[in-house]
Amino acid sequence: MDMILKIGWLFPNTFNLHGDRGNILAIKAEGLRRGYKVEVFQINLETKDFDPMDYDFIFCPPGEIVHFKPVIEFLKPHNEALMTFIENRPMLVTGTSIGIFGEEIHRDDNSSIKGLGIVNLEVYESHVVYGDDLYYHCQYNGNKMEIIGNQIQMMHVEIQEESPFGQLIYGYGNTGNTKFEGARSGKGIFTNTLGPVLVCNPWLTEEIVNLIEVNKGLPVWEEKRDNSLELNSLKTKVALIEKKESKLIKISER
Amino acid sequence: MKFYFALWLAKILGVAINLVSKDRGTNLPGEKALAIDPSFVKNFKNIDYSKVIFITGTNGKSSTTNLVDHILKENGKKIISNIEGANLLSGIATILAKESTLTGKLKADYFIFETDERYLPLVYAQLPAENMLITNLQKDQVQRNGDPDFIYRKLKEVINPQMTLILNNEEPRSRSFEESSYRSVYYGVERHDESFNKGIDYPTQACLKCHHDMVFDYYNVDSIGAFHCDFCGYASETIPEYQVNDINFKEKTFKLKGVDYNMPYDLPFMFYNYAGALAICQEICDISPQKAAKAFNNFKNIGGRFEVLKYKDKTIKYMRIKQENPDTLQSALNIMAFDKQEKMVALGLYTLVDFIPHYANTFYAFDCDFKPLIDSKVERYLCFSEHVSYDTANRLIYEGVDKEDITIMDSDNIKEIFAEIDKAETNNIYLITWISTFEKMKKFIEGGQN
Repeated sequence: MDMILKIGWLFPNTFNLHGDRGNILAIKAEGLRRGYKVEVFQINLETKDFDPMDYDFIFCPPGEIVHFKPVIEFLKPHNEALMTFIENRPMLVTGTSIGIFGEEIHRDDNSSIKGLGIVNLEVYESHVVYGDDLYYHCQYNGNKMEIIGNQIQMMHVEIQEESPFGQLIYGYGNTGNTKFEGARSGKGIFTNTLGPVLVCNPWLTEEIVNLIEVNKGLPVWEEKRDNSLELNSLKTKVALIEKKESKLIKISER
Repeated sequence: MKFYFALWLAKILGVAINLVSKDRGTNLPGEKALAIDPSFVKNFKNIDYSKVIFITGTNGKSSTTNLVDHILKENGKKIISNIEGANLLSGIATILAKESTLTGKLKADYFIFETDERYLPLVYAQLPAENMLITNLQKDQVQRNGDPDFIYRKLKEVINPQMTLILNNEEPRSRSFEESSYRSVYYGVERHDESFNKGIDYPTQACLKCHHDMVFDYYNVDSIGAFHCDFCGYASETIPEYQVNDINFKEKTFKLKGVDYNMPYDLPFMFYNYAGALAICQEICDISPQKAAKAFNNFKNIGGRFEVLKYKDKTIKYMRIKQENPDTLQSALNIMAFDKQEKMVALGLYTLVDFIPHYANTFYAFDCDFKPLIDSKVERYLCFSEHVSYDTANRLIYEGVDKEDITIMDSDNIKEIFAEIDKAETNNIYLITWISTFEKMKKFIEGGQN
């Protein structure tokens, strides 16, 4: 039985904005806790023979839009494989990089970039930046959970026929006008939640690794992680959200 | 006519505010003047734009401005500058109103302005400086700046072929502006005893020219050091024209262009400020390194980031970091790591409260390498500050710190912080927190609790 978890980290140097490497540390730590060997592979523009199906989990961090074109050109030949990948395997795409996997990226200067078209959404670069906490509930791998994190919104995400990843409790989400946060396609998560989302929400990390285990025909690890520290963190950040002044449209009014 | 009304109002407000407090009002007179005359700054007389220097970038602009101002004044030059740190258009308007005659005439050898990088196009529209120093462009204030490219584009709007640029040789974004200017002068720092490397799982950045991965041979400060791109060849120069070298931490000296200098602050991020300031003085203001050197003997940085407090038998070394800025946090971590004595680390990363909405962001800590600190004899960690203390502790745990070695305090209560400091066996205490908590701690000590 294969006891190695293979993680594909897309363009870590090109896309490196918000402490995103924390997600790699989190998934690696959870894999190690369950007794697996975890191998992390960095994929960059010079990687030869990239095949998404070589990996159990793929993470694409957020990046500056100025670098999107060469990345899309690199990934284009692997479009079909990436679509097949997210049918059953977990992939996490965060922040601006959602646009790469969507249909089109509309820039603030009226130019546009064709995305990979893997998910049916379009993104629109904002003229101003909006940063805030982000709090929502979602379901992944059959389990409901709450997610807490941050959002630095540099673009609107217009999901067409895709399902949202989360239902907002607080935050800007996709457009500031809907109750939706991110998108989910198959087992692919496309979220505005930035930084170490898998560190702050280990319950999501556990579900990702559970799914990897199922995909690999391994027994799902039963011993739960001690998440007390992260639950305390969630609690205190929710307390901040509940008392904070906000100019956002209330979720109930969206 | 409205310019004169605006000017006189600004002058009256300036005098009034000065009577109340000398430390206040660096923006208000300018704000009011700009409300009356939106072109207020443009309408001042006798400004030779070839004598105007903007100092902009993410980190180091205040210290560099202070140092340039100091060197030039020590060499008998009449300088108008915003060394009090009001770096928006209104701050510059305030200082110009203060320094001008009643008819808006100005007299100075040079105008040296620290300029907020985000608002640079607004300032430049009214004050088209022909010289600009760019310290560095890094991840910073993401709640308003988003990503470095957002700021890069702001600077691109302004930089033109009439400009002389003084550029940080070892910071890829800043250096890349060379292609847009009339003349570029480079400054940098030689590899020194506190230069460092980071592990392979710490990302670098993409090449500005070809998008491929950039390689740093080493860092002098986080994200700044000798770099190259293997794909297109974009690279820092091996020896830039103005290079701080022969850095001697023990003797607190360095050299530049063969001239010896006393080093007023032996902090690695200051070395770039020294090099940049000396480049401006020679290239724009014709003050040679020899003439500038004596000014280093009595330079005091306003609003520096390092302070030492005495508390009971303990020494508290406070380091102020910029929030949402991994580079200043990394510098602070490195300083602690280079101290091989037993220490307690009190880490109070804090909720962002710059403007509405406040939010709990500590994710930049994952860009920083804590390993050297953890390997440097830490007796105990205190993670404090409401809403973010658990995340701060978690960052340490992910770096290998035992949960049992961390006290987590979901609070900013000063007495509780001191109670934890009291428990430490070591007298060597490092403190990172925001200025407000630090000021309260300082008052606590001054109030006789010592």
